[in-house]
Amino acid sequence: MPSATLLGQALISGVLAGGMYGLLALGLSLSWGLLRLVNLSHFALAFLAAYLTYEMGTTYHIDPWWSVLVIVPAMFVIGLLQHWVFDRFKVNELASLLITFSFAVILEVAIQLYWTADYRRFETHYSTLSIKVGAFYIPVLELILCLVAGVLAWGTWLWLRKTYVGKALRASAEDAEIAAAYGVDHKKLAYLLSGLGAAYAGVAGTFIALIATLAPAQIWAWLGVVFAVVIIGRLGNPLGALFAGMLIGASESIAMAVLSPAWAPVVSFSVLIVLLLWDPDWS
Amino acid sequence: MADLLTVQSLSAGYGRAVVLSDVTFALGEGQALAVLGRNGVGKTTLIDSLIGVTRRFAGSVRFSGKEIATLSPEARAQRGIGWVPQERNVFRSLSVEENLTAVARPGPWTADRVFGLFPRLAERRHHAGSALSGGEQQMLAIGRALATNPKLLLLDEPTEGLAPIIVQEVLAAIARLLREEGLAAIVVEQHARKILPITDRAVILERGRIVHESASAALLADATPLERLLGVTER
Repeated sequence: MPSATLLGQALISGVLAGGMYGLLALGLSLSWGLLRLVNLSHFALAFLAAYLTYEMGTTYHIDPWWSVLVIVPAMFVIGLLQHWVFDRFKVNELASLLITFSFAVILEVAIQLYWTADYRRFETHYSTLSIKVGAFYIPVLELILCLVAGVLAWGTWLWLRKTYVGKALRASAEDAEIAAAYGVDHKKLAYLLSGLGAAYAGVAGTFIALIATLAPAQIWAWLGVVFAVVIIGRLGNPLGALFAGMLIGASESIAMAVLSPAWAPVVSFSVLIVLLLWDPDWS
Repeated sequence: MADLLTVQSLSAGYGRAVVLSDVTFALGEGQALAVLGRNGVGKTTLIDSLIGVTRRFAGSVRFSGKEIATLSPEARAQRGIGWVPQERNVFRSLSVEENLTAVARPGPWTADRVFGLFPRLAERRHHAGSALSGGEQQMLAIGRALATNPKLLLLDEPTEGLAPIIVQEVLAAIARLLREEGLAAIVVEQHARKILPITDRAVILERGRIVHESASAALLADATPLERLLGVTER
């Protein structure tokens, strides 16, 4: 049995790693829950943003905290363009899965053509900074990631609950035809939400560039676990996505410490299966 | 009195099926029209045609002096057509208050004013739409339409399936809207005697056509058309 310190450190690391799951899940959960579009290209967009952060940092020496100001709006625009395709061709839920999967594969190939399949690492002077609290080490970048994910999730939750646009979006997600008959312009709102989801992928991408090693195939590395997080957190629920991400991150980390690293992927899907067996309508 | 709504030679339906044929009527500002008829004669199709969810085969619909027959449902709603659907269709995952504020547009009808009309909703303002009784859902459906601050309110069978005591409460609220607030309205109802006392004019539909049009008071005074066309004999 590992020591209490090791378990505590595993818990902290897991929760912080879960922040990335939550951040990636945020945009996916919004488009799936509120627009009924399963956007698999979300992961590819996040990696495109990561590579752009890497490129701007290594080639043009632009600090990620500045490049994010360009990348996030650019991702927002890509989200709008992507939604134009969904809207123009009246893409449904299942078709969106297939189309965005294809889009992600194309983007993966494009990334590979430009940046090659080599592993790339964006080193900064703060990459390995950590704070020591008692016996535990808290990596600064992961902590900032969690704070950003928390602010975005909380802000989005408030936006959906307190603003006219947010409430109209939720009404539209429940019954688009009825909402339209009350003057809700679902089309405009859907564009806004698609742009927002892609912008969140941009934020996630910036952190991926700073925390992870980049390779085109890594686009798919988080797909399974983030899907589980989206469902566990309930579709369209930003705070749910964040908490589910942290729960899964912590569970994986504890499983790795207590059992072995090979057990980590089992955790998220076990939680998902138990949850769906307990309540089939959970999502 | 200037016409708020003018429906001219309207034929409409769903897919290839023509349900309404050559329907013509007009409604002035602040007027209330009762639309009567047996089941399946096209009353709901008429309402659906006004909100823009049917297929129009011919005719025109002018609202506030502008043609709206080619407009989308959201554009019609934004121009001031408020709708209370037969199935109520409240947003089940939104709270009572959110149901009102999600579709609200500027005007005299605020959520608080709706709560004044239906105090029962005020007590349940934080409850989800799915947690309401049938009567409360109907009140919310009316309140939600009012929150859009419509110039014209369309009520599709507003008392259907409600307990008698709730029917009285809902009818009293509708009467207040039509008589005291002077809101223009079209009220579809199978039970003519419930609605005739609070409307100005009435049309009776049969097989998708208007077969009778008169003042509501005239129909109440001489119920022969009701008996002939609706089989109504109750007092």
